[in-house]
Amino acid sequence: MKQSPESGRPRTLGGAAGRRKRRSGDSALAAGNPLLQVRLPAWRSRLLLFGLFCGFVALAGRAFYLQGGVSTQFLQRQGEARYARTLDVAATRGTITDRNGVVLASSVPARGVWAIPDDVEAGKRDLAQLARLLDVPSGELRRRLADDRTFVYLKRQVEPGVAQRIESFNLAGIHTSREFRRLYPEGAITAQLLGFTDVEDRGQDGIELAFERILGGRPGLRHLIKDRLGRAVEDDWVREPIEGRDIRLSIDNRIQYIAFSALRAAVEANQAQGGSIVVLDVESGEILALTNWPSFDPARRDRMEPQKLRNRAVTDTFEPGSTLKPFSIATALEAGVVMPQSTVQTAPGSMRLGGHTITDTSSHGVLTVEQVLAKSSNVGTAKIALQLPAQALWDTLTAVGFGQAPHAGLTGAVTGRLRPPQSWRPIEQATIAYGYGVSVSLLQLARAYLVFARDGDIVPVSVMRADSPAAAVPVLRPQTAQAVRRMLELATSDEGTAPSARVSGYPVAGKTGTARKLRDGRYSDAYVASFVGFAPASDARVVIAVMIDEPHGGHYFGGDVAAPVFSQVAAGTLRALQIAPQAHALALAATEAATEAR
Amino acid sequence: MPIRLIVAVLAAFLMASAMSLVTSRHRARGLFADLEAAQQLARQSEAEGNRLRIDLGRAAQPAAIEVAARRLGMRPIDPEHTTLLPPAARPASP
Repeated sequence: MKQSPESGRPRTLGGAAGRRKRRSGDSALAAGNPLLQVRLPAWRSRLLLFGLFCGFVALAGRAFYLQGGVSTQFLQRQGEARYARTLDVAATRGTITDRNGVVLASSVPARGVWAIPDDVEAGKRDLAQLARLLDVPSGELRRRLADDRTFVYLKRQVEPGVAQRIESFNLAGIHTSREFRRLYPEGAITAQLLGFTDVEDRGQDGIELAFERILGGRPGLRHLIKDRLGRAVEDDWVREPIEGRDIRLSIDNRIQYIAFSALRAAVEANQAQGGSIVVLDVESGEILALTNWPSFDPARRDRMEPQKLRNRAVTDTFEPGSTLKPFSIATALEAGVVMPQSTVQTAPGSMRLGGHTITDTSSHGVLTVEQVLAKSSNVGTAKIALQLPAQALWDTLTAVGFGQAPHAGLTGAVTGRLRPPQSWRPIEQATIAYGYGVSVSLLQLARAYLVFARDGDIVPVSVMRADSPAAAVPVLRPQTAQAVRRMLELATSDEGTAPSARVSGYPVAGKTGTARKLRDGRYSDAYVASFVGFAPASDARVVIAVMIDEPHGGHYFGGDVAAPVFSQVAAGTLRALQIAPQAHALALAATEAATEAR
Repeated sequence: MPIRLIVAVLAAFLMASAMSLVTSRHRARGLFADLEAAQQLARQSEAEGNRLRIDLGRAAQPAAIEVAARRLGMRPIDPEHTTLLPPAARPASP
């Protein structure tokens, strides 16, 4: 029913007809409004539609561009930035153990506590608590936090428990990171031997430095994907960490302790500058103990003094004095110049040579070669040595390792000084024969004595536990070595210079040394007292070398200062190695002790 | 008609496979998190073991033993108090 709104018959208003009427009225109104009569051109809506279409095309294009293989890196990068982390994975440093597996150095996890100073919003109480936990003065902590750098360490190598408590405070701007701390359970006893590491757990000195390549691993790099809760859900090794390997030293921690405590007591009793002890295994050349005093506590970095860090037994040289005589005598025996029972006139206890005087402590008169060594006569030794070609003496001294650094795997090992024989004048040949004009380290000296303890051959020394026996190099004929051994045993008898070196239950052999120290090119009144020996004398198991530097306690002779230390260390070492005492020697010692007691 | 059926079946398979992919992915992540936790525990245990070994070393130090022995009234061996038994006199082992 189409009808023009205007053409209408009169109708009652109401019901459906009324509604129609109203609509008709609206139309009438619209027709009357010129604005509403404007007819929009069709192209405008099409333009809008086209615009929308273009927008969608652009979006689709962009989506294709980002995800369809044209430039996918962007979104991947964004995703990685939100969910992926690349973490450094620290490699644990290897453990150092002694020959029996006792831990000498080991790394344990620790935390480094660090801060971004700008982000730190901690109250006074929080800071005080933090300072107390870190064991850092509050002032120092505040000073560090006032720093304008973006990163400061507050303290490194903090115990994990302490770090956990700090983390539990949830302080803004304070963070912790994973690191390691090196612990040395034996402390000062093995301090110079083992050396130490820096805060990054890298070796700085001693064994830690020498075996850095074995001990220090290589940190790894790990790629992690985390979910929105921060849990790792996928990983991928960019580079796997290589863990540091453990090393087993030849050191025996019991013997090391015996040597250390005997040395410390002796240095203190003799008011000496310092001292060192080396204990070698005769069979393998392994270093069973190597200790120095004064020492330091590796746990207290702040108290380290440079002069206490040196492993003196290896890095310092001294003129050995009489401890070198056995090598001169052995050379003479080897060359057939003298026999053990040949006699030498040492009276009047001094001799002139090239404008210099060689003296003995007292006049001994006519001595056999054996007695020359037992009584440590400089004159006798000089007279014997002067009958030798310089080259022969040099050959022996070089063959036993003087003038060359021992390849023991220790840092800072020195060569000592042994001049070529062509430049020796007779007086020099004589003084070198009794240990002046050459310089050696205690380790060199101890190693050289292996030649007497081992029937004339010598093995290299090592600080690593040896699995196979080392190759021995012959230096002297066995008969010569045995003859010198007997003389060295005589030196520890009542007749010799070192009766105080004796050990109850075991025969021992050895030689004292008392050498003046060179100061500014002149011999001073300061002495180095030493004793090198081995035990048991007939079937030697250990060589022990003792050096006491500048004793001031009234005694300075090697026989008074160093020999008793040898005795103590030898007794302890032989017991630790479970070497049975020899019954007759023990009975003798017991009788002596009983007589003394009475 | 059979084509429609095939499509429906394939669609159902697709859905099932998608669901199982999501599930297995979820489980893999759960297992990975467990593995991480276990490895963390292993590391911690190893560190603790290391620390205990060090403590053992400290406790077994000859110096510590000597101090303890002296406290108990013990003293070092000396020849006066040492008797060597000849091999024949050794008691037979039970």
